[in-house]
Amino acid sequence: MECLFGLVGKDFAITVSDATSIQSIVVMKHTEDKSRNLNKHIIMLYAGEPGDTVNFAEYIQRNVRFYEIKNGIELSPQAAAKFTRRQVAESLRSRQPYSVNLLIAGYDVKTEASQLYWIDYLGSLIEIPFAAHGYGAYYVTSVLDRYYYPQISLDEAKVLIKKCIDELKTRFFINLSNFKIKVSNKDGIQEIVL
Amino acid sequence: MSSEIDEYNGGSVLAMLGKNCVAIASDKRFGMKLMTLGTEFPKIFQATDKIYIAMAGLATDIQTLSELIRYKINMYKLREEREIEPTTLAYMVASTLYERRFSPYYVSPLIAGLDKNNKPYICNMDLIGCVTTTNDFVVGGAADDCLLGTCEALYEPDLEPEDLFETISQSLISAVDRNAASGWGAVVHVLTPERVITRTLKTRQD
Amino acid sequence: MSFYPYTDNGGSALAIAGEDYCLLASDTRQSGEDYKIHAGYVPKAFKLTDSCVYAGVGFSADGVALVKRVRQSIEWYRHAHEKTMSTPALAQMIATVLYSKRFFPYYVGTILGGLDENGRGVVYSFDPVGSFEAELHKAVGSGAELIQPFLDNQVNLKFLPEVERTPLPLDVALQIAKDAFTSAAERDTKTGDYLEIFIIDREGVNVERFDLKRD
Repeated sequence: MECLFGLVGKDFAITVSDATSIQSIVVMKHTEDKSRNLNKHIIMLYAGEPGDTVNFAEYIQRNVRFYEIKNGIELSPQAAAKFTRRQVAESLRSRQPYSVNLLIAGYDVKTEASQLYWIDYLGSLIEIPFAAHGYGAYYVTSVLDRYYYPQISLDEAKVLIKKCIDELKTRFFINLSNFKIKVSNKDGIQEIVL
Repeated sequence: MSSEIDEYNGGSVLAMLGKNCVAIASDKRFGMKLMTLGTEFPKIFQATDKIYIAMAGLATDIQTLSELIRYKINMYKLREEREIEPTTLAYMVASTLYERRFSPYYVSPLIAGLDKNNKPYICNMDLIGCVTTTNDFVVGGAADDCLLGTCEALYEPDLEPEDLFETISQSLISAVDRNAASGWGAVVHVLTPERVITRTLKTRQD
Repeated sequence: MSFYPYTDNGGSALAIAGEDYCLLASDTRQSGEDYKIHAGYVPKAFKLTDSCVYAGVGFSADGVALVKRVRQSIEWYRHAHEKTMSTPALAQMIATVLYSKRFFPYYVGTILGGLDENGRGVVYSFDPVGSFEAELHKAVGSGAELIQPFLDNQVNLKFLPEVERTPLPLDVALQIAKDAFTSAAERDTKTGDYLEIFIIDREGVNVERFDLKRD
């Protein structure tokens, strides 16, 4: 029932995750942050089996950091995404696979472009201009298909994100009351409110 | 292959033999069951200047296996100090697949290439590496039956590169348009001794 | 082993609608379970009227039973209205017959090829419970997946958008039907032996027979 989505614009990537933490039939929290920053420019959103998610996300976060300390270079969003994919794919055929769906978004300092990667729990990786995970994907992708265009500005992207959230609030039968929105651009990652 | 997994991400691949040339083609869809998520998903990978490998099936395995094969091809080149031959590659892929006999990679690979004498070669294999080499065409993926029908009817032997391109393109487009799990454009490579012709095709966007 | 009232006898059929003709082709093989071939010549296409031919693939016994019932209805219609049933009326009637057995269906994929009241070629295809649609070309049966995209490619040249559309001549349609079946017989084990092509035009219905692969 969790919902993650994001899109890439002219010189930024924007991500949205619902902030609801559910256990069984009880909403435990409305301010859960389902994301980790992998470095100064890369955001990773995660959803899936509780327990697997945070553990896996932090494993990736720390390994990306470790790589950067060891080699003294910042990983590009593409490199981080491909590394993550491989970890998921290897876990898939292990005794206890991680059940985590991910979105990796970020600004690549070298190519000066933003990217968004979609990874599912099987380890399939695609790079797309906008992406979503969970049941919310059925609502959000329709809205984005209609209104998204390449090179969209941040202000217009915010309006579009608002449209997506409004759609979820009116048509999705789960009450996702709160969302965490993050933007990554050349200056780094900021959490924003619409 | 179990059709549940075969059609989870969708996608189709196809290769054809011509006169001193080969062609290899795939669609570009990436989906989850009925929902299309990506429309630029590569299913054809360059092995050497004269060999391409295409894979349809479960996307994660296509990616894992293509990376593994790329690694093995590079290692072969370093050890042998020469390019791999199409048949050698075919059996390299086949044994890689058979290593996973009891938890297989869910893929249908095709290999198309020209050998050191520029003799064209195509083959396909099943998910555990049973190689079938043919002298006309090979198909794989969600629209394999449709592709078999169009290829069987449209194919003729000894086509020149441009005619082979038209034949493989028409076969692929006709087949994927009747398959909901495949489509959203296509990529075609025609390999000749002189050069590789790469073109992208438009198909229905639904 | 419990009793199961259906088997799949395989086989394919196709129909192509022309300007002033219609063509319906089907193979004559009757297959059984486990790669068995029961017989080489068991037709699954039948003439219904002077302007309409039926083909039923799937469970052969149901296909035959359906024709019997439809022919009976055509006869009653003739006595009641003193005219032969038109092809569109027949299509609607077959749909009603199929739906009347909604919860114990005739296990057949049906196509109807013929001429409408204006003498134009029409093709109707049905699912086992009577959903139907008028089309210009259609393949059904075990080889349908192989044949249908080929028809899309050849009949209305769907993938050659720059080519000028002209009505499909009968001899071309015939060649397409033959090619479709030789290809299907090559790859589909349940299609083969002989090909029967019904040609429906203003003059009436003509049948031609051709050889297909027998292995």
